[in-house]
Amino acid sequence: MSFFSISELFRPTHPMFAENKHYFKTLDQFQPVEEYEFVVLDTELTGLHERQDEIVSIGAVRIKNMQILAGETFYAHVKPEKPLPKNSTLIHRITPQQLESAPPLHEVLPNFIYYCGKALLVGHFVDLDIAFLNRACRHLFGSPLHNPCVDTLRLAQIHLERFGVPYRNKIDGGHSFNLTELCRQYGLPAFVPHDALQDALQTAYLFLFLIKKFQGEGYRTMREIFRAGQGSRWAL
Amino acid sequence: MRASSHTNIHAVAPEIVLEFLSHTLPFNELDADTLRNLASSCIIDFFPKGTVIFRQAQTQVRHFYLIQKGGVKIYLKDENGTVTLKDFRGEGEYFGALPIIQGTNMANLNVETVEDTFCFLFPKEAFLGLIQSSPKVTHYFLRSMSEKLVKTAYAQLRQHKMAPRTENALFLFSAQVGDIVKGAPKTIAATDNVQMAAARMAELHIGSLLIHDQEKKIIGIITDRDLRTKVVAAGLDYQTPVSQIMATPLKTIPSHQVCFDAMLQMMHLSIHHLAVEQQGAIIGVITTHDIMLLQGTSPLYLFREIVAQRTIEGLYPLARKVPAVIRTLIEEGAKANNITRMITVLNDHILDRLLTLLVEELGPAPLPFCWLVMGSEGRREQTFITDQDNALLYADPENQTQAELAVAYFTTLGEKAIRHLVGCGYPPCPGEIMASNPKWRQPITGWRGYFDRWLNRPEPLEVMHSTIFFDFRAAYGDATLAESLRQYLVRNVPQQEIFLLHLAKNALEARPPLSFFRNLIVEKDGEHKNSLDLKTKGLVPFVDFARLFALKHGIPENNTLGRLQILHEDGHLSHELYSETVKAYEFLMQLRLIHQLRMIEQNQPPDNHLNPADLSELEKQTLKEAFEVVRRLQSHIRQEYRLGEG
Repeated sequence: MSFFSISELFRPTHPMFAENKHYFKTLDQFQPVEEYEFVVLDTELTGLHERQDEIVSIGAVRIKNMQILAGETFYAHVKPEKPLPKNSTLIHRITPQQLESAPPLHEVLPNFIYYCGKALLVGHFVDLDIAFLNRACRHLFGSPLHNPCVDTLRLAQIHLERFGVPYRNKIDGGHSFNLTELCRQYGLPAFVPHDALQDALQTAYLFLFLIKKFQGEGYRTMREIFRAGQGSRWAL
Repeated sequence: MRASSHTNIHAVAPEIVLEFLSHTLPFNELDADTLRNLASSCIIDFFPKGTVIFRQAQTQVRHFYLIQKGGVKIYLKDENGTVTLKDFRGEGEYFGALPIIQGTNMANLNVETVEDTFCFLFPKEAFLGLIQSSPKVTHYFLRSMSEKLVKTAYAQLRQHKMAPRTENALFLFSAQVGDIVKGAPKTIAATDNVQMAAARMAELHIGSLLIHDQEKKIIGIITDRDLRTKVVAAGLDYQTPVSQIMATPLKTIPSHQVCFDAMLQMMHLSIHHLAVEQQGAIIGVITTHDIMLLQGTSPLYLFREIVAQRTIEGLYPLARKVPAVIRTLIEEGAKANNITRMITVLNDHILDRLLTLLVEELGPAPLPFCWLVMGSEGRREQTFITDQDNALLYADPENQTQAELAVAYFTTLGEKAIRHLVGCGYPPCPGEIMASNPKWRQPITGWRGYFDRWLNRPEPLEVMHSTIFFDFRAAYGDATLAESLRQYLVRNVPQQEIFLLHLAKNALEARPPLSFFRNLIVEKDGEHKNSLDLKTKGLVPFVDFARLFALKHGIPENNTLGRLQILHEDGHLSHELYSETVKAYEFLMQLRLIHQLRMIEQNQPPDNHLNPADLSELEKQTLKEAFEVVRRLQSHIRQEYRLGEG
């Protein structure tokens, strides 16, 4: 039993998490992909160390019926517990003053969890965002998120393995799976990088693009799309 | 829950959408709040290359589509699967607006992506809300689609305002004459004799042959009527070469013209055959018979009946058949301009027949004369109710005897003609501007005197009353008389600054019935309470505008659309204002025609009073647009003549 499981014995799991756990256990993966609701998210962090770094902003956008609902976005700055390291501001353009007036994570997170609801979560290299979110969720609610996650980075890798990338978009020295670079290769509208909401939208565009390309190749259900990568080292 | 409802969590405006809209016409005109509202209703969708987004007559249109990136092609597919490409749309351009504005919510065209395409979708409710609340957006869509939209408005007028009577779709306005011609042209050499021609016509079961010379060039036509009248009846030798009796030069029509035009041309020329020309070569012949096969209640039948009449009284019932003929034309999709031309042609023929028979009855006139028609008849813009506006012009008598003879003859002619015209159902002019009034039966010097007085000592009231005289044209008799009077005006009017100024002021009299908020103003009281006078408020300002500038620039044309076209071609009218004006004017004419036709069919005397409540939203919107054009025309006049807001 892990440390976190023990803590669950003492801290009652938040009812919403329990409900989600049950819901996703019985999730039917054989529905056409447009039947599912997705929340595409991105977080900006003070750094990449799960133990010591913190979330400073969360951006997310909802996808229903494989369409992005531009009016149903989520965007919040989060006040970190420790002072902001100087070098991180250079990347994500959030000033210490902005964060000073922002609410702390324990106020932002419930809204975000509620916003995600029963949607599947999507992110570019989503494991990193989920790791930070789960650490906070376990701490605050006694449970990690149960929402299944889809990684656009892996989808892009599967897509490349299966169908390749148009020649004109190839760059020298192989392929980059960096979000901005991928979107450039696919010719998608470009967003300002390193803003949680902009990155979430950019990821949503990439997700929409890849899923519809898979659908065009005959992969209709959630399951089929994930299975598309089987037999390669990028199997999900 | 929306994140924005929580304090300190940023109220999120979808910036990419906002940013895009604020750089895209006409949304960049919107205020920040409206823009944000619109942006938050936005749905972003992706369509890989080759996706059919709209399928004509199948796809329910629930959104307005704005292309963020990528491109689409728009095309029509007919029953035979023939594809007609209509348009390509790219970034910042839209589709789906028409079915929403129209309210059909059904795709009218096919839309297919030609590359990977991202679109911003706005729910139809949000789009309609915008159309209703933002005049600038409304204006933009009505304008940019006005061509399509006006067509749709016409279609709506046809469907809603007229109970369907004929199911068979006729092709008068869609079939091109080139489509009607069958097989290669049937020809005979100019040196062949008439007997050979008759034998060949009998063999081919046709009523005409084209005639070619040694170089195989087609130089004329011979018809079975020619054989009858010029050969058999005249006792001509059957060995006569056809070149002696052929009609030449050949009357031709370009193959791309529609059958309506062919019909009109044949009626004008009083002939039954037209050679069809394609890129300089004759590809065949179209006949009145071909057109009648296309046509049920045909203007041509009526036309034939008119020219075949041997008594004036026989003409009386024919004029009343005009509405039935016109109805067929409207059902077939004729535009107002075609219809008024057709009404004018039919009325001209009735008048021509009537005066021909009358002159036969009275004996030849002592002096050459010309029957003038004025006002809408003069402009070839007649609708169903047209008061008579006519006059008589004759050559200057050389002596007293001739003058007395002329007065006696033309008095009888004028009075009898007017009585017969009333008998045909043309109401007399309340202002007595008719050839029965001695004042309006004048030799050419008399008419010059009238025009000189109007031009040199213009009184506002007189100017107003005289305007219709400036729209005169010859309808019967010696047209050179009318032509010389016209030339006199073309030379003299452009210098008459004061007269033109009065005319300009007069043209500003009719204010477009739009309040400051551009709602339609209807008459508040009187017999026509809650109605809108389409003629005085709507059409007259266009007519006045065209007349004013045609006179100013010495343009001899009478027809309002014709005047506008020449003004545009001569650079007196910008392309934009010209095309707006034509569309608005045609729409108003169409609206009036259908209104009047409906009244006739309900056995009411037709009038010009329209109740806006009877109109669809689209028609109201288009009507408002048309009145907006009136406002622009009038401000053009104000600028030209430095006249302030009166």
